[in-house]
Amino acid sequence: MKSSLLRLKCLSEIKSGEGIPFLTPDVSPGTHCPMRMASVIVEDIEGLSSLLVGMPECTTHSRLFSPYPEGEKGELHWLYVLDSREVVFGCRDGVMEALKKMEKAGARSILLIATCIPDLIGEDFEGVIQEIQSELSIRVAFVMLGQFKNVSYPAGSWKTMEALVALMQRQITVSNGVNILGRSPKEEHTPLPSLFPFLERNGLKLRYLAPGASLDDFCVAPDAVLNIVVSPYTQPLAIKMQKEFGVPFISLHNCYSVEEIDKAYEEIAKQFNLSCKGVFDEERKEALVLEKQAANICHGLKYVLSLRVDLPLPLTQYFITKLGMKPLLLHMEEYYPEDKNYAKSIRKSGYDPLVCRVVNEYTALQILQELSPDLGIGYLPNTNDTFPWVTDMFDFYGQVGYGRSNAVLKRLLCAVNKSSHFSKGGTYGTSSI
Amino acid sequence: MGLHRFKPVPSGRMGVLWTLSTIRNAAIIEFGCMGHMLYTGVALKRAGVYNACKLYSTHINETDIALGDTSRLEKVIEDVIERERVRVIFLTPSSIPEVIGIDISAICEGLQAQYPDTCFVPFGCGGFDRTQHQGVQEALTFLVKTLPKDMGRTQLPTFNLIGSCADLFRFQADADEIIRIMKGAFNMDPLCILSSDVSVEGIERMGGAHINLIVRQEGKDAGREMEKRFGTPYLMGRPYGIEGTANWLMKIAQLLDMEINSEFLIDEKEASLGRIEEVMPNFRRIVRSFPESATLSLGGHADVVKGILSYGCDELSFTKGICWCDCQDMEDEDIPYLSEDDWSKAVFSHDKGWLMASGEALEWSGKNTNMQISNPDTKWRIYPYEPPFVGFRGAVHLANLWINSNDPD
Repeated sequence: MKSSLLRLKCLSEIKSGEGIPFLTPDVSPGTHCPMRMASVIVEDIEGLSSLLVGMPECTTHSRLFSPYPEGEKGELHWLYVLDSREVVFGCRDGVMEALKKMEKAGARSILLIATCIPDLIGEDFEGVIQEIQSELSIRVAFVMLGQFKNVSYPAGSWKTMEALVALMQRQITVSNGVNILGRSPKEEHTPLPSLFPFLERNGLKLRYLAPGASLDDFCVAPDAVLNIVVSPYTQPLAIKMQKEFGVPFISLHNCYSVEEIDKAYEEIAKQFNLSCKGVFDEERKEALVLEKQAANICHGLKYVLSLRVDLPLPLTQYFITKLGMKPLLLHMEEYYPEDKNYAKSIRKSGYDPLVCRVVNEYTALQILQELSPDLGIGYLPNTNDTFPWVTDMFDFYGQVGYGRSNAVLKRLLCAVNKSSHFSKGGTYGTSSI
Repeated sequence: MGLHRFKPVPSGRMGVLWTLSTIRNAAIIEFGCMGHMLYTGVALKRAGVYNACKLYSTHINETDIALGDTSRLEKVIEDVIERERVRVIFLTPSSIPEVIGIDISAICEGLQAQYPDTCFVPFGCGGFDRTQHQGVQEALTFLVKTLPKDMGRTQLPTFNLIGSCADLFRFQADADEIIRIMKGAFNMDPLCILSSDVSVEGIERMGGAHINLIVRQEGKDAGREMEKRFGTPYLMGRPYGIEGTANWLMKIAQLLDMEINSEFLIDEKEASLGRIEEVMPNFRRIVRSFPESATLSLGGHADVVKGILSYGCDELSFTKGICWCDCQDMEDEDIPYLSEDDWSKAVFSHDKGWLMASGEALEWSGKNTNMQISNPDTKWRIYPYEPPFVGFRGAVHLANLWINSNDPD
């Protein structure tokens, strides 16, 4: 192994997100701060106000993503900047005063977003909110997002979504109510999985909860009889809702293979005494054909996973078990609790790929080439003249079911079929096409 | 600092970073969380800075903080030196190392011996009571103390422009206009535009200039430093208005004991006055018949506000409205510093006259955003050839803005 790769760890050595080593020591430009995701999310939830607490850096840059101090429906997105005294003695009094002012100015509910310095000095926002809550008629939730604890942006999404549970209220269960966690009610770009129209045709009332939904939707969400999770960013929200309100959940975002999707769909149908038989036949059959085709063509291909791949471990497990592909290196933006099981399963299959965080996208390619992969999956700049790449993977975010698997496989096959490397007998690998 | 609706006054750390970020053939390494450098890069691109200093971060995690471990910084430096082969590396402070008390300067001393061919320049101004303007001042002063090499005057007269930095609204256009009029009036070329258009080598050659033109208060210490070390005279101020620009050129001529190219000066004055003359009857009518509409309310950098105000009042007979600056250290009786509460009240309640302020203030109050003279900005500025505010062209541009503004009359 070349020296630049020596600093990396194998998947079996990774126990948490913090343990994922950087591919290069230098960061340029690096990954988004979790604060960005929180700012973007709160701005897109109608009726929810926010107070971002931090230094001039965080508060100034947050305006890149959430440029307006007031939303269309009277939401307030205000900033609290610590001064030199508060960095030493804490910002408790100032923040409590700020929350009161925001209530007076018309905020209905507030999410307090704490960035690096308040997190570093150990400001107790739980205590602050407990103390002030009795003086307020509005609900306040908080999320701690110091980047020194949350290296990359996914934590900003899943922790913010999880924090919204504090604004939810216990409800009487609606027997046909289902929350779809992770899909916006205003979604325009991500194709609608065929499962959801099927559920609606059968009398179920779906409530889409993600940025784009309203605060009111979130507040009454515990009335659902089931949560269906379509994004890794909403899995922690589902877990917390189960714990706090007893709403069970079924996750679809991790299911790539036909068997996994079959099982999850049957489980959902069973909850409501429905039958899926014959409903998804067309796309299911297509998935089986594509899986077989991809297994023939991609078997034995060594690959690296780069940036903007949502679910590196579930996808890798799928590529190994169904397509016979060989993972060399995986860029992981986040290590979710469920990833432990996928890591175990990948190890059981006989693979222990290198794991890293790509933090300098301009130099990563050169290093990845040292591994002589047959295929690259995920975004990196300037991949045109190297081995075959499937660069666009981020648009699969939020997609689930047979449709997503079909689209992933088609893109994979397209890249491999198009490549001259393979038609010449495999410049980079041993597999014959 | 407290509660804000709008962007707060940036920190000294940000001021340092923005000042350095435009310097070519150098790298900046920030020891801190990666998000700050990423978004600084985005903000610089929005401001129109590209292909300048290479920006790096180390990131920092809980273990580094708990153990005071700075090995990340050392590894990044090793990597950057190997790959970029830059001669100068600026090390900038960030908020977390400031809280935990990491001494970047001391680390630099150790590294300097290890990498004798690379110059390490550590910057301070990381304290939580320091503002953007103090950061800019410290960066400009430290740069001229550290990088210029000993050298004699250039054979043909040259000048340095000190204080043209990426944090000022329309910095590129203003610098270009100053370069144009210096060329026309004295046939002088710039040696160094500190720091919006310069390389490390350009800063090293600064000692060869015949005069330093300091276009913002934060550059005064740098000018003094250059005077002390190289004996270079300096002129403070920004040239606004037609007479104002002519006077500014006269002062340069006096300092350098040089003749102004009178043909250029006459042509420029005539061309500018000729254009403005077309709208002077309108301005005179506003001043005479609607005096409350002939007021200039200005908010932004103290030097910009003072300059535009003097042009409007001294040359066009406008009157002063509510004017404020964005830095407490620069306030005086004429131009006070206004807190966000106070300036937002002034902006929202503004009724008659011309209001020129930051893009953020104008946009959010629903006022005419063409009247922007300061930052925070709300737009991308990838086109650097917009009209300036300074110089002869700036005078015509400002008159054009005023006559087209719907606010008065």
